[in-house]
Amino acid sequence: MKTARLIYSILTILVFTAWCYWQLETPVDFADYRFAKIASNGEPLNPWQGPWACTLDKEQGLLWEVKTDDESIHDGYWTYSWYDGQQGQDNFGDCYFEDNRCDTLDLVIRTNQQALCNVRGWRLPTSAELQSLYRLNTLPQQAQIATQYFPQIKNGDYWSSDHHQALTGHYQRFGHGAKAFNFFSQSELNLPYRNAAFVILVTEQLPSSRTEAGVLSR
Amino acid sequence: MKFARCCFVAIHLVATAALLISLFTGLRIRAVLDDFWRNYSYLLPQGEVISIHLLSGMLLSLAAFCYLIYTRLKQQDKKRTTTRLKHKYHHLVIRLGHWVLITAIISGWLIWLQAPVINKLASILHYLMALAVIAYLFSHSYFHFIDSGVGGLKRVFVPGKGLKPLFFIIVFSLPALAWLSHAFIAQNQYQTLLVDDLNPDTHIDIDGIANEGIWQQAHQISVLTHGGANFDNGQTRIWAQAVQNEQEIYFALRWQDANESLSHLPLKKTEQGWKVKQQGFHHFDETEHYEDKFAVMLSNSCDYGADGTAHLGHQPLKDKPVNWHQKGYHASLDNQVRDLWHWKAVRTNGMLLADDNFIGKPISHKPGVRRYTAGYQADGKESGAYVMNWLWYKPDIIVPKRLPQDNNKLALFNQNALLPWFESTPYHKTTDRYPVGTELPSVLYRSNRFEGDRANVRAKGIWKDGYWHLELARKLDTGSQKDVVIDSGVCIWFSAFDRSQVAHTRHVRAIQLVFAS
Repeated sequence: MKTARLIYSILTILVFTAWCYWQLETPVDFADYRFAKIASNGEPLNPWQGPWACTLDKEQGLLWEVKTDDESIHDGYWTYSWYDGQQGQDNFGDCYFEDNRCDTLDLVIRTNQQALCNVRGWRLPTSAELQSLYRLNTLPQQAQIATQYFPQIKNGDYWSSDHHQALTGHYQRFGHGAKAFNFFSQSELNLPYRNAAFVILVTEQLPSSRTEAGVLSR
Repeated sequence: MKFARCCFVAIHLVATAALLISLFTGLRIRAVLDDFWRNYSYLLPQGEVISIHLLSGMLLSLAAFCYLIYTRLKQQDKKRTTTRLKHKYHHLVIRLGHWVLITAIISGWLIWLQAPVINKLASILHYLMALAVIAYLFSHSYFHFIDSGVGGLKRVFVPGKGLKPLFFIIVFSLPALAWLSHAFIAQNQYQTLLVDDLNPDTHIDIDGIANEGIWQQAHQISVLTHGGANFDNGQTRIWAQAVQNEQEIYFALRWQDANESLSHLPLKKTEQGWKVKQQGFHHFDETEHYEDKFAVMLSNSCDYGADGTAHLGHQPLKDKPVNWHQKGYHASLDNQVRDLWHWKAVRTNGMLLADDNFIGKPISHKPGVRRYTAGYQADGKESGAYVMNWLWYKPDIIVPKRLPQDNNKLALFNQNALLPWFESTPYHKTTDRYPVGTELPSVLYRSNRFEGDRANVRAKGIWKDGYWHLELARKLDTGSQKDVVIDSGVCIWFSAFDRSQVAHTRHVRAIQLVFAS
């Protein structure tokens, strides 16, 4: 009888311990319902992998440039005046990668030459495209965007492609400008082309790894 | 006879429950600093266990007191008592068990009292007694069970017929009394730090040197903190003074730390490329290649367990992710903000700041974020930053952001554990001619110091002769929703970090600030 109790009690303890052990989880990553990381060569990355050069917006069918802090042409600190080669103001922004100062066309040209994420077609986003990136962020003084997929977003204005906008108030004397969007204040405003603002580029072209895999829903 | 038996069974039941709760919650607390017990994390309770441990300790103390009275009465009644232990073995084990329990209870109270001289010994003793309790449970309880089966358990846990009301009175009144005593003591348990008045015309330099006259007069307290990595026996004593001038409060702090640790996750060049020197950083629990740090928490309430913000275990918060190091999270489940000043010997000391953080409600877990920190978050900032000198952290090979312009200054940079932005250039593989074995600081001050809410705490620390000396200053009311307004009655907690990322020291009881005027 005592032997049976001994065996049964030891077995119970072992089973309980094993059950508890199997309950113990390790941290696991999980994919965002909308965004995915893409490496500079166009290959998809897992949510915890990095560095990544582009963020795929599965909902909008767009590929976004990811800003960095590595002093490359994609550094998030660089600012640009709005210029498309015909309209706007060239070379009124600040960056290190141009002999002259910088404008939006410089970044568009360089990024397309580079074939960032193995695609071309990089351009300024429309104001609607920029605003579609809104995501509530409850942490203090943070951009209202998925910062884990869009790092280095500054508290400043980001250029859109929507131009020839009539300027008012203080800027009225400059005539026309382009729409810009602030991810912190979630505000849109028209700025003179000559203003230095931040830029995040976008393209409809998607890396072959994503289109072949049929991940995109639209 | 029946009466004595009933008392014994009731006290035995309460003491057993209190002992088991104390043991398991105590081992969970121990697991924060002890790898061995973290291996058994899945067997230990999780959450806000510190308060439960203290409550069960109170219950065990009361049960022990009742048992003492019971044995005294029983001795007087010995001639009429026929109860005998069947085996000498049990007699010996129970005798030893009593001493173990008494020692565990006394050492627990000594830790709670933060008794200056004996506290170091008390914490060692308390842990040893916990191990002895495990041995006791096997040699006494388990042996009894094997020997007598469920019937044997019934005899010591179920009262006989006729005296059940008395049994239930004891069984329910003891926990109730313990809870009341615990609540009463919790309301009156604070150490106090008298905050002396400072003449508004008197200037205090935040330079880490408390040589202003006011510091010679200001009241000082000391608190022995325990449970930190790398400190001697995990413990360090912290001395604190505070003064205020109705606008700002100033702290002069000092703590024992045998070495000044500035080397913060340095980079080392290997045959394959640059690598981060780390031992636990990949799991966010580095204890070798890390800077010294110090933390001050402030709150309008003063409860145990860092005012109820310490949630221990691998997954202590329901619906929140498992944590990497299985130690736990800080979070305010009552939605009150606790202020947290985090001074870092490399990353913020050069900015003459402490990182102004807070503990709020646990945030939601976001995809793509590998480290979840629950309620521990940084205040907002307008600008300024320190950055790590790698494009993306990996445990094997990383790519640095910058390399020093002048090789000859590398020794100086390593000594300061800081790579100046304007004395370095962006990394290019083609221009990286540093030999294998070269070490490089990993901390870069990218631009200006923090500005905005995150820069509300001025700080400067200096290490000298085995002690860190730290001065802190902050406005009494910053106007920030993420800061606690400092006034008489606010409670504070101190934690020191000896080259560790999260393994900090702690103290059980809060320190309440009492303004002299």
